[in-house]
Amino acid sequence: MAYLLLIFFPVTMAASTFVLRRRTGLVIFAALGTVLAQLLIATQIPVDAPTRFLGITLTLSPLNRVFLLLFLTIGGFAMVGAWHLPHGENFVPIALLTLSQVCTVLLLQDPFITTLLLAATGLTAVLAIVDLPAGASNLVGTRAIAAALKYLVLMTVAAVLMYIAFVLTDIYRPGELPERISPARFILALLTVGFALRLALIPFHTWLTDLVDYAEPLVAALIITLLNTASLLVLILVFQSFPTLLLESEGAHGVMRLGAIVSVLVGGLLAVGPAPLRRTLAYLILYGSGMVFYGLASVSSIGLAGAIFGALNQTLAVTLLFVSLGLLERPDGRPPGVVRRDLLRRWPVAGSGLLVGGLALIGLPPLNGAMSQLLIYQAAAERGWIELLPLLLSTLFAGLGLARVASERLLGPAEETTPEEPLLLWEIELDRPAQRRLEPEPRSTAALTLVLLLLCLGIGLYPQPLLATIDEAIRELAFIRAL
Amino acid sequence: MEINWFTIAIGATAAVVLLFRDWRLTFAALLLNYLAQALFLAQQRFVPPDLAIFGLELSTLVFVKLITGVAVTLILGITALTFSREYGLENLDEFGLAELRRAARAAQRQRASAPFQFSDYVVPFWAGVLALMASLALPRIYPIGPSAAVDFAWYWLTLIGLLTIATATDLLKIGLGLLLCTSAIDLLYVAVVSAPEASGLNVVPLVLLSLINVLLALAVAYLSGLLYGRLKTLELSELYRR
Repeated sequence: MAYLLLIFFPVTMAASTFVLRRRTGLVIFAALGTVLAQLLIATQIPVDAPTRFLGITLTLSPLNRVFLLLFLTIGGFAMVGAWHLPHGENFVPIALLTLSQVCTVLLLQDPFITTLLLAATGLTAVLAIVDLPAGASNLVGTRAIAAALKYLVLMTVAAVLMYIAFVLTDIYRPGELPERISPARFILALLTVGFALRLALIPFHTWLTDLVDYAEPLVAALIITLLNTASLLVLILVFQSFPTLLLESEGAHGVMRLGAIVSVLVGGLLAVGPAPLRRTLAYLILYGSGMVFYGLASVSSIGLAGAIFGALNQTLAVTLLFVSLGLLERPDGRPPGVVRRDLLRRWPVAGSGLLVGGLALIGLPPLNGAMSQLLIYQAAAERGWIELLPLLLSTLFAGLGLARVASERLLGPAEETTPEEPLLLWEIELDRPAQRRLEPEPRSTAALTLVLLLLCLGIGLYPQPLLATIDEAIRELAFIRAL
Repeated sequence: MEINWFTIAIGATAAVVLLFRDWRLTFAALLLNYLAQALFLAQQRFVPPDLAIFGLELSTLVFVKLITGVAVTLILGITALTFSREYGLENLDEFGLAELRRAARAAQRQRASAPFQFSDYVVPFWAGVLALMASLALPRIYPIGPSAAVDFAWYWLTLIGLLTIATATDLLKIGLGLLLCTSAIDLLYVAVVSAPEASGLNVVPLVLLSLINVLLALAVAYLSGLLYGRLKTLELSELYRR
């Protein structure tokens, strides 16, 4: 019953909130209540106790439980953020529907169904990308439509590749037909490209940069955190379900690691180059995704621990980045159309959130990304300095990119220094235009940013409980033991 | 060698989708493609028949495929028929309305300056020829399905779908390419997983595959409606120009 509630309750609430979508406050409260109820239900589901429904096995592993709780928490944060941050008319129903789909993905073991659900999440996300606020007086941007179209095409192609791979795994018997090209390599190639598209690894990343550039920050945050991380968990499930794919394609691991290194390096290099704030954040995320994929492709227990912990940290850091970005881009009472350079002074909480989120992504101690990056570096060091060096260089580049964007947009001197001029002859105080009132940071969103910031710091200072859970989960993974 | 007419029908209708630009023609071809796939499934009997209609023994799967095809074509067809309607103009400010008028003029100019040219069909034609050669060769080089006809059908649908996306000049054509690709994996799944040595068909992936087809059609229809409402054209060149 709890499984079904976890899957279908958000769907029904999504339908209800869609009907009431113009009453923003009510809808956000209803959605927040739904997420809290979901969290309660998730804690009631026993771990590793499979159940059957319509011929499908539903089960919750300890690792997936951690991510389930994390995703629901992120969903709750998104609802709180939606109170003040710009979002489309249908954001809340779409977010609830996406949460339901992601919860289902985490409960399932069947690769066919998870692939189709991931495709469905992509189709749902498309609606959010082109969504305009209720009663908007402007037209939807052509760039947003182009970004949504690109996302739709690439996610469908990814689903097709993954599905073909899973059909092949269904009939593939190891050691059969030795005269033919090994099906294991072919399947692994299909899966790698499919998941590279979903995880936005360079050169399959263009949807992510467009998404960050043209979608609302909350939409980008939901897609990158929930959907990309869920895809990574599905990839781990695939390796767990079909360990022979890795065992029979020894050389392919090297290609996967090389791809990850290229992705990390190019992501870091792009971040250094001149780019607007949003684009630089996209490059930092690409760098982070590459690091996580390298950990997974290293196929070692240390690397995998780094990848899983890195994915968890990235989820938090990206949410913090986009909530802060949404706050920084709010109209602040000053003349619009000017690129501001004093955002940290003007919005101290949001500015700090952006800096901390970026630093967490590149793994600076004592933030949460530090430990996961260390584990990934350790996995790379086991392969030799030739793999470790590019990763370290990329981190340096990503750090320089963050420093560049911080100096350009955050750390500049205060810009509202208009000196008080004396009254002219015959002029009185009432003749002067009213002093411009600068908007303060919205309390609920500032509090949300602080909570996320403290979470990043807290996990960075005390990662042991999460690492212990991840280590325990990794010990149960057959493909790691086999390799 | 025995000729499988349903495979030829699948091939011919998919080729029409790749080659032609007029949505009236390509949507009809898509519907016929789904019909040909349903008849192919009925002929191959991957799933034991569980229905008897007019003396014909058919599986429910055939009807699911037919209903999916009709639903997808209806969604796209209704969208295409209602493009000329204007939605949500009451909320737009003067700037938005002026931009729409400008877009309508630009689209009119673009239509007037783009007469029918055979050269527009050269790339899709040769892409189709390449796909045909690959689809004839791949079932011999890398057979996956239970028969050469199945392999030809799914390889052809996948390649034509991808090439349709690659050579598309408008948004609806991209949608058609995506739908052909999902049809290909649907056919592959049914043919391969129903084999005795495979794990066996499950009803949930089949339902989800049909649902994905319908959702995909809805997403394409929604984006097409948005794009047409914004630029008064579905041409991708206009979308990426601004």
